[in-house]
Amino acid sequence: MEETPSAAPKRELALVSHATYVKEKALRYLFFACAFLAVVTVILIFAFTTYSAFPVFTDIGLANFFSLTWAPSEGEYGIVSLLAGSGLVTVGALVMGVPLGVGTAVYLVEIASDRVRKIISPAVDLLAGIPSIIYGFFGMVIIRPFVAQISDGLGFGALTAWFVLAIMIVPTITTLTMDALNSIPMGIREASYAMGATKWQTIYKVVLPAAKLGIVDAIVLGMGRAIGETMAVLMVVGNAPVIPSSIASPISTLTSQIALDMSYSSGLHRSALFGMGVVLFIISATLVGIVRLISKKRR
Amino acid sequence: MRPSCCPGSYAVSRRSFLACVAAGLMLPLTGCQTSSSSSKQITVAGSTTCLPIAESAAEGYQDETGISVLVSGLGSSAGIEAVANGTADIASSSRQVNADEQKLGLTEIVIAHDGIAVIVNTDNPVQNLSTDQLRDIYAGKITNWSQVGGDDLTIQLVNRDEASGTREAFKSIVMDGAFFDRRAAVLSGTGQVRDVVSRSVGAIGYISLGFVESKFAETAVRAISVNHVEPSEKTIASGGYPISRDLYFYVKGTPTPEAQAYIDYVTSDKMDSIVRDAGFIPVTDDESAGE
Repeated sequence: MEETPSAAPKRELALVSHATYVKEKALRYLFFACAFLAVVTVILIFAFTTYSAFPVFTDIGLANFFSLTWAPSEGEYGIVSLLAGSGLVTVGALVMGVPLGVGTAVYLVEIASDRVRKIISPAVDLLAGIPSIIYGFFGMVIIRPFVAQISDGLGFGALTAWFVLAIMIVPTITTLTMDALNSIPMGIREASYAMGATKWQTIYKVVLPAAKLGIVDAIVLGMGRAIGETMAVLMVVGNAPVIPSSIASPISTLTSQIALDMSYSSGLHRSALFGMGVVLFIISATLVGIVRLISKKRR
Repeated sequence: MRPSCCPGSYAVSRRSFLACVAAGLMLPLTGCQTSSSSSKQITVAGSTTCLPIAESAAEGYQDETGISVLVSGLGSSAGIEAVANGTADIASSSRQVNADEQKLGLTEIVIAHDGIAVIVNTDNPVQNLSTDQLRDIYAGKITNWSQVGGDDLTIQLVNRDEASGTREAFKSIVMDGAFFDRRAAVLSGTGQVRDVVSRSVGAIGYISLGFVESKFAETAVRAISVNHVEPSEKTIASGGYPISRDLYFYVKGTPTPEAQAYIDYVTSDKMDSIVRDAGFIPVTDDESAGE
């Protein structure tokens, strides 16, 4: 970037024609603009969200904002119950989804034959391509009645969301875990077999510990997907903004509440929704930060 | 029933809008006819709940008479305001004028009735609830069906989202200042409420009467009577069923002949099926209810 157009021709592009030089330069700036757009977008969205959420600090007050009761029509904008809902839904989804995702990755990388892998791998990729509204519909029509039956309730609540989200985060976790496992040198496995270890012992004692940080990476990103998921969650949690009393009673999450209220909210209510957006932004930034830190450590 | 739009937004019937634009373009061309063509346009403003009725009527009326009707949904209050200051010919409203608005001297015309049925699962033996019991159930004070003469079963509350006009009406008629229990499941559509209640024994919900019997759903729900009055088109039209409301048109003074013709069209039996499809009860039922 430090080179100026007048100085540059004397450097690496000194031997090309002026037209080629201009083209090369233009392309360089074009791609820089593409890359820069992401940064600008993030900054703009964050600035806009924070700006729109400003009344949270001035008119609503942080004490109200971080209280238990979410009742916008009564002037109560407490998001703690929604945070609790988001937390419960995410943790449960991870408990169910991580073994599933990591297990799939281990099977595909360490155990499966090429033929089996050629069937399962695209299926997992396809899972990532299914729109979340389809997951939500599936959860509402198939899983909810099932949960209703075993829990004697309506079937709306965290448990239903867990089933749906667990399937949704499998592709993220599987793909990233596969990357981590593939990056483990073959020599380590061979050394383990040479010591007389079985396949299971090799996976459990050698490969998984070696890929530990990569798997944590995968889990954190899966967590980001679970906490940010909106449509599918909206359709199965029941949208009752209360502290969860059981895993099968209606609850609400930050994202689903924003989606539900955005269409008609105004004034402070809308500001509070943007405030929730800022909270989600911070959570997601923290998760990305964690992933970055881990990646640094891995290297 | 359509959820009401966010404040400030408004929907205009596309057809009538185009007609209006076309009429505007014609003005310079038609010269001396200007005054007569501009007076032959009716503006209807107000409730988004009334939008489906007003729009369908506008299309039918336009086909019959060639007079264009511009329909917009700005909310009931905005519509009444518009008629009061003369920017609209007719205001549509999902509520009656309040004390302040009464001073404006508007004439009220009922265009449709709307009844909200309280629905339970078909396996639930409870046949009747009083409005007090309903309020206590929805406020979370009554939590078991045995408290209102049913089986020993937890009541599963199903509520609508705050954007819903049905929720708004239910709240003002039944809740009487009490707050909804926040533990209730909040669903964003009549169809969802119906489906969930039809599949859960302990569930209770409320939907417009027009949607209790559904041609498309494979499961059934049962509308219970409230204060011992069975919800039906007759009891709602007569005002006997407690959870009902009317949809109104308001005009200032004597409406123009065109506006009067449009109002007559809306309240005529030509609109019956359209009103029913929109989930409301036509006013042409009123005479039979009086018998």
